[in-house]
Amino acid sequence: MSTTTTTVSPTKSSVSQIGQQIRSNLQTYALVLALIIIWFLFFFLTDGIYLSAQNFSNLFRQMTITAVLSVGMVLVIVAGHIDLSVGKLAGFVSVVVAYLQAYTWHTLLPDAPAWLTTSLSVLAGLAIGTLYGVIHGWIIGYLRVPSFITTLASMWILNGLILIRTGGKTIPANQPLFSFIAQGYLKPLILGWILAVVIAVILFILMFNGRQRRLKYGFTLAPLYQDILKTAFLAALIFGYVGYVNQYQGVQIPVLILAIIAVIFSYISNNTKFGRYVYAIGGNREAARLSGISIRQNTFWIFVWMGFLAGVSGIIMASYVGYGTIAAGGGYELFAIAACILGGTSTLGGIGTIFGAMIGSQIITSLTNGLQIMNVPSSWQYVVSGAVLVVAVYVDMALKRNRG
Amino acid sequence: MDNNVILEFKNVTKKFPGITALDDVSFSIRRGEIHGICGENGAGKSTLMKILAGVYPWGSYEGQVIYNGNELKLVDRAIHQATQEGIAIVYQELTLVPSITVGENIYLGKEPVEFGVINWEKLYADTQQVLEKYQLDVPPRSIVRHLGVGKMQMTEIAKALAENAQVLILDEPTSALAEAEIDQLMEILRGLKQHGVTCIYISHKLEEFFKITDSVTVLRDGKTVLTKPTKQLNLETLVSSMVGREMKERFPKGNRKPGEVILEVEDLHALDPGDPDYESVKGVSFNLRRGEILGIAGLMGSGRTELVMTLFGEYGKITGGTIKMQGREIKIGSARDAMKNGISLVPEDRKQHGLVLIQSILRNISLANLDQFATLLQINDAAELKASTDFARSLAIKASNLNAPVDSLSGGNQQKVVISKWLMSQPKVLIMDDPTRGIDVGTKYEIYKIMNDLSEKGIAIIMISSELEEVLGMSDRVMVMREDQSVGTLDIAEATEEKIMALATGVATQPIPER
Repeated sequence: MSTTTTTVSPTKSSVSQIGQQIRSNLQTYALVLALIIIWFLFFFLTDGIYLSAQNFSNLFRQMTITAVLSVGMVLVIVAGHIDLSVGKLAGFVSVVVAYLQAYTWHTLLPDAPAWLTTSLSVLAGLAIGTLYGVIHGWIIGYLRVPSFITTLASMWILNGLILIRTGGKTIPANQPLFSFIAQGYLKPLILGWILAVVIAVILFILMFNGRQRRLKYGFTLAPLYQDILKTAFLAALIFGYVGYVNQYQGVQIPVLILAIIAVIFSYISNNTKFGRYVYAIGGNREAARLSGISIRQNTFWIFVWMGFLAGVSGIIMASYVGYGTIAAGGGYELFAIAACILGGTSTLGGIGTIFGAMIGSQIITSLTNGLQIMNVPSSWQYVVSGAVLVVAVYVDMALKRNRG
Repeated sequence: MDNNVILEFKNVTKKFPGITALDDVSFSIRRGEIHGICGENGAGKSTLMKILAGVYPWGSYEGQVIYNGNELKLVDRAIHQATQEGIAIVYQELTLVPSITVGENIYLGKEPVEFGVINWEKLYADTQQVLEKYQLDVPPRSIVRHLGVGKMQMTEIAKALAENAQVLILDEPTSALAEAEIDQLMEILRGLKQHGVTCIYISHKLEEFFKITDSVTVLRDGKTVLTKPTKQLNLETLVSSMVGREMKERFPKGNRKPGEVILEVEDLHALDPGDPDYESVKGVSFNLRRGEILGIAGLMGSGRTELVMTLFGEYGKITGGTIKMQGREIKIGSARDAMKNGISLVPEDRKQHGLVLIQSILRNISLANLDQFATLLQINDAAELKASTDFARSLAIKASNLNAPVDSLSGGNQQKVVISKWLMSQPKVLIMDDPTRGIDVGTKYEIYKIMNDLSEKGIAIIMISSELEEVLGMSDRVMVMREDQSVGTLDIAEATEEKIMALATGVATQPIPER
């Protein structure tokens, strides 16, 4: 086995290297393919209802609450931790926000306009989530209590807090502006198109910037048409999406929020020191420590972000269902974890992408939604979802083995 | 068929996609001999052994392996079958369960059972018997984790022998052992020979072949270059047949000119992180000059690694003594502190401590140095790639591109990645803990040249090594450690293996003055 490869070339222009890129992304492509198969399957099983503009719009809207959680969960699992409390934390945030909306602002600020009270509710929700994240980060990062135990305890505590806050009753949170957060659409429809154009322009600017930067450091570039094709393909997807959801009500506000969060956190995970450190810690904690990376500090921030995202998720939850209940968020942590693992995040840490988790999230939602449309009883929905999860992860592992 | 031959490879060829790992390999091994196999990394040694051990089953390779006169056909549960046939392998990385006892490990998976219950008395009695038979000095009831590397290896050997192995394969058994332990291992192997066990001995340390083996096979690029009785060989022929060219010197001559003192360590004391009642550094003093290579020698367990890890801020708490960098006293409490003060460390165990194996070469090189390319909100990935590429090129890392995962590289290239990473941090003092462990001769030579280059550029290097030859071949001065203390420093002109060993073992009758 002599080393046949010769010198180091940093560029990825040759055909074999494109092949390598495709192989290393095989898992992601396989996942997208699985999603498309599921969509077409249900499309035929439901006589096309499944992929109607209305249901297509719903498919994305329904995933947002757990998908926001899975964005943070990717970081948590990649770093080698777990967070079992996020469902109940989001639930608790939703209950508190609903309570603020229903009772507090009435008595405290009787004449305040809706935009002010809604903003205050949102800020309160984010603050509670983040504060809880800070506590987690401190206990897990600095006191080094295992995350499993810490967050399990939190789950119980939060469950108790939800019962205390609601007193066992349902709290309404259906004020128009507040409901807009999870039930609103970009209106008039032209706003959606403008948004698509703006994103496309940004994509192209980023592409040319990247080329400039590589040029500045003396690298040979991939052919221009290749980059243009890639970027154009992405832009076309966005236009297609906007065009189709505009057939129904327009771009869904919660999906917009989710997209912004997913893009920001993808960026953080790839292009900031914090992101790199998370992956290094999960990949080899000792090597990371000996590279001068503070395990405590980075662990702390992972859980702070997780808490913040649980806050976002809780706000969307309250607005989506329109009230806060004692059952809010129960079991959502497991949906978030499943989405990550389905999306290729390794339970051993070090590997995983936010994009993957989004696809994983969409697969879970697509299944549940499809079975609902087919009027499958909820008992059987659970059975089918469970079976699909195991099969999906098995197929994924088999694919990985073939590659190695 | 010659009854004296226990194992014969006949035209064995093994292909992987795009690569021929073994190309028409033929040679035979005589019953009861110790047969050395050597070759550079990637020469095909491991592939050959994996065929013997059943990792690559019969049919996945071409050619024949004749064992005791019949063709060896390992098919179903091939690994298990190999064991039953009496072929056992002791891997380079030990495969014991650390949290259970020696006896439990030896009989793991084949515990003596009565009515579904393990008969512990029999298990330990059997263990004792095996250990005594082969003169292995390990307490059967010790927890493996508490043993030293040498004893762990004895346990591993006992485990192989408990299966009544006829052929014992030892894959780089000495890479983690100190000199004294190596001698002990050699004794054990001679004992095995008395009991008629055939040993296949794989090593990068060529001198060992002359100490212990009866014959040697050299592999290069998947082909057998020679099989000869050891008596007919010498070190030069062995090296040149391995690398395929004349290798005049194993240690390149540098043009080092040590300058002024850069690092001064004065009576350093530090606690053991696992056991705060115990001092793991008990008074170490030395100084280091710009552009110098200071070798640290000592037996396994003499506290060498503990010392350098302490200097790097990642071991126990420093309780006494001073560290001065360029005349200024510095405090080191973490790797970050050490790096800020210009100290870098290439750790002993590159897989555990040096690399994130699942990540790319690029990410590994830049990991410790992201501050050079990053603001809080962004990493300049083009600058990162440029700088990493420059280091990868200057160290001649062999890889298709920098996005290849680091675990796809050979050991030597992995080590170069670790070195690149630490060079990028622009150290004044580079600590290298056993930098050539498990690396083939050719790549070792390259790493020595890199070390010379660095010291010529003014970087001060501290090198720990378990191989005395390497210490003598590369250092300007040699500091010897014993029982967590520095016991003497020798100028290279006066240093000999005997003097170093005398200091390291404490047998020296006359104290050698500190320099």
